Amino acid sequence: MGKMKIKAKEKDGVVKVKAMFKSLMADKEEAEKKKIEAAFITYIVGKVGDKVVFEATTSGFMAENPLIKFSFTGAKKGDELSFTLTDNHGKTVTDKKKIK
Amino acid sequence: MERRKFLNLGLVAAAAVLAPMTNLNAVDFREAKPDAWKAEKSADAIKAMFGDGELKTTDKIKFVAPKLAENGGSIPITLSTDLDIETIALFQDANPRAATIVFSVPEGQKVDYSFRIKMRQTAVVTIVAKAKDGTLYTLAKEIDVSIGGCGG
Repeated sequence: MGKMKIKAKEKDGVVKVKAMFKSLMADKEEAEKKKIEAAFITYIVGKVGDKVVFEATTSGFMAENPLIKFSFTGAKKGDELSFTLTDNHGKTVTDKKKIK
Repeated sequence: MERRKFLNLGLVAAAAVLAPMTNLNAVDFREAKPDAWKAEKSADAIKAMFGDGELKTTDKIKFVAPKLAENGGSIPITLSTDLDIETIALFQDANPRAATIVFSVPEGQKVDYSFRIKMRQTAVVTIVAKAKDGTLYTLAKEIDVSIGGCGG
């Protein structure tokens, strides 16, 4: 867990974001079947500066390597969009990308 | 400094009083509503997450999902609406637990989310959205799954 790909593009004041988070998203039952450890993202938060622009609580029933598309307003080109992920073990990872 | 401190105290106190009922932003729903994530059935999960409020069926929320999903491991879902939504959540009856994803919509932002979910079998997917004024909207769709995802 940990890697993510972020793409953010601003047009007419609306920032369109595509973000892919690498995670197996294996819930307890699935992990048992595959004989791996349960690993999934539980919480995703996206921020520009201190402002929260995206927030989701997730479970292991999201598809593997969840790809999330969304759009928001209130940011401009060059601003930095950062994502913080929390997984089921409580580990967090942060990555950021400039809005194009 | 004194005055600032005093004001801050007031703000903190006000926030503490208001927090449970109004601003759910910046809340990890897994910590805030642990029961909702354990419920097996959508109905129970919705109750644990949003309370006993009346659910209004709506067509103002756009919920795009395939009628027939060939691969249950990756079902694309799109949610969008112009309503003033505070929280929007997806539940399904296919997997061991119903709650799948809960978005807290930040202040001033519109709902426009695309993502993918896993489903073990054919089941009904329910969307519940809580508007800023507290109204609960819901809509549901059955998705046919030909090959189950989720390791099934």
